[in-house]
Amino acid sequence: MSEIKESELPGIGKKFTLELDSGDKLVVVIHSSGEREVFKFIKDNDEPASVTTLADEEARQIGAILSGTYFQPVIEEAQKLTMKNATMEWIKIAPDSALANKRIEELDIRKKTGVSITTIIRGESVIPNPHSGEIIKPQDTIIIIGGNDQIKNFISTFEIKHRLENDRQ
Amino acid sequence: MIVNESVLSLGISLIALFFAGFLATKVNQSLTAVFIVVGMILQNFFPVTIITEFIATLGIIFMLFMFGLEFSVGSLVNNQRKIFFNGVYDLLFNFPLGMFLGWILGYDLIQTLLFAGIIYVTSSVIVAKSIIDLKRSANPETEYILNILIFEDMFIAAFLACIVGVVNYGHIDTKGMLLVMLKTAAFFLFFIILSRTAKKIIDKVVDIEHTELFIILILSIIVLSAGAASQIGLSEAIGAFLAGLLLSETRQRHRISEAIKPFQQFSTAIFFVTFGMSIDYKHAGSLIPIGIFIFVVSSFSKVFGGYFVGKKYALSKRACLRLGFSLIPRGEFSIILAGTIAMNTNVPYPVKSLTGVYVLLSAILGSILMKESDWFVKNFFESKGKEFQPLGRHSAKD
Repeated sequence: MSEIKESELPGIGKKFTLELDSGDKLVVVIHSSGEREVFKFIKDNDEPASVTTLADEEARQIGAILSGTYFQPVIEEAQKLTMKNATMEWIKIAPDSALANKRIEELDIRKKTGVSITTIIRGESVIPNPHSGEIIKPQDTIIIIGGNDQIKNFISTFEIKHRLENDRQ
Repeated sequence: MIVNESVLSLGISLIALFFAGFLATKVNQSLTAVFIVVGMILQNFFPVTIITEFIATLGIIFMLFMFGLEFSVGSLVNNQRKIFFNGVYDLLFNFPLGMFLGWILGYDLIQTLLFAGIIYVTSSVIVAKSIIDLKRSANPETEYILNILIFEDMFIAAFLACIVGVVNYGHIDTKGMLLVMLKTAAFFLFFIILSRTAKKIIDKVVDIEHTELFIILILSIIVLSAGAASQIGLSEAIGAFLAGLLLSETRQRHRISEAIKPFQQFSTAIFFVTFGMSIDYKHAGSLIPIGIFIFVVSSFSKVFGGYFVGKKYALSKRACLRLGFSLIPRGEFSIILAGTIAMNTNVPYPVKSLTGVYVLLSAILGSILMKESDWFVKNFFESKGKEFQPLGRHSAKD
């Protein structure tokens, strides 16, 4: 990890310098007013090649993106690995669905298809690991997990039409 | 009807300030310089009244208070060696020069000392603003510039206390100097001990929810400190400065700054106008050649001093020169030095008009030189053929 040099600019704010592996330097100046400036210095040059000025709010957004809160490519990779042979599906329950208004245990889903219901999303509330006595209602979204074949089996058995786009893709 | 007239003239001054300031910000010029020019013009229409004089006095007090409040004690402690050595370097390059110039001009010892202070001190307001505007805050030389400014400001605060003490004492002799130094040191010490020992109590005392009472309390602290300093023969400004330092470590610091800023901005503007009004119009004209001469000489010494500070830290030639050029603008502190003394009516000082001319030149030309320092580097110090176009040049042209 590169070392970040921190220094005070009295009357202006604070300066953080990050020396990049390429030899270029990235300097962030946080002004007392909350404004941020990001300077890029090309290797061995003492005048900035570019400067970007960000308001407080903009800086926070960019910061979140850079820190990976919005999108994390590496972790995505890891998830694919563990999920290699399993799939999750988001299924919206239509009023005329074979699943609607039935208790989970009476549907016997696991025995018939091998698929498990992991979560029921009902409006704003989320029911993780629903009890076998839980009733699936119209307009619910259920999240199921299973092997690819098992999922296919589930969809044909219960004649599912409303598959939701997987959030992750 | 004297009250009505002076209120009206204050109103006219303010609206003139507004329009002039508006134009100044359009062309990115220092407000200090413009306000002085407004004062110089307005003196043809009405005299300085008791009201403006009083507000001007408050202007100095508030300015020094804000300055103390925003003074970065933390960075002073963290970088004390760097600040001290670079500051002394800059002092040695420029202060003796001012004394020499004062001697040539035939001033007496007090005036010469005063003049040296005026020549020496760079305007931290103008320079800090220019650094931000020119997108130079991340440049390597900027830290050194700011270190020098901290030292200068601190030196001048102590210098102001001493010189006003000397002026009030009347003349310079060993006993008088010793007395003034002792008083100044005692006054500083009192505030330092107070801020060390009573930190928590002060923090509690100023933690008042009620807005009106809060402002009244803060104002009373400022004015009482200024008054106390004046009572023992020191400058009011230094009392206010120490009050600012005292309050700068409280948790209410930000709130105090917000509350006092409007007072400060208003009264400081009036202070500059009053200063401009007291510059003798016709007399000032004949001072322009001397002013230009002093400006050129003192700019050279600033650039050289800055250049050597930069060289010591192995900055590039360009950066060194930018460092030097950034020290040229003089402003508020030079005016305060000249102004505070001039308010002491039993000592009429010829220094004042010359300071006016000098500060106008260096504030206006100085900030232009700061912007264009790269042009100087290119044309005078480097062989042609280097094609890198630095960013500062672009933004300077916008």
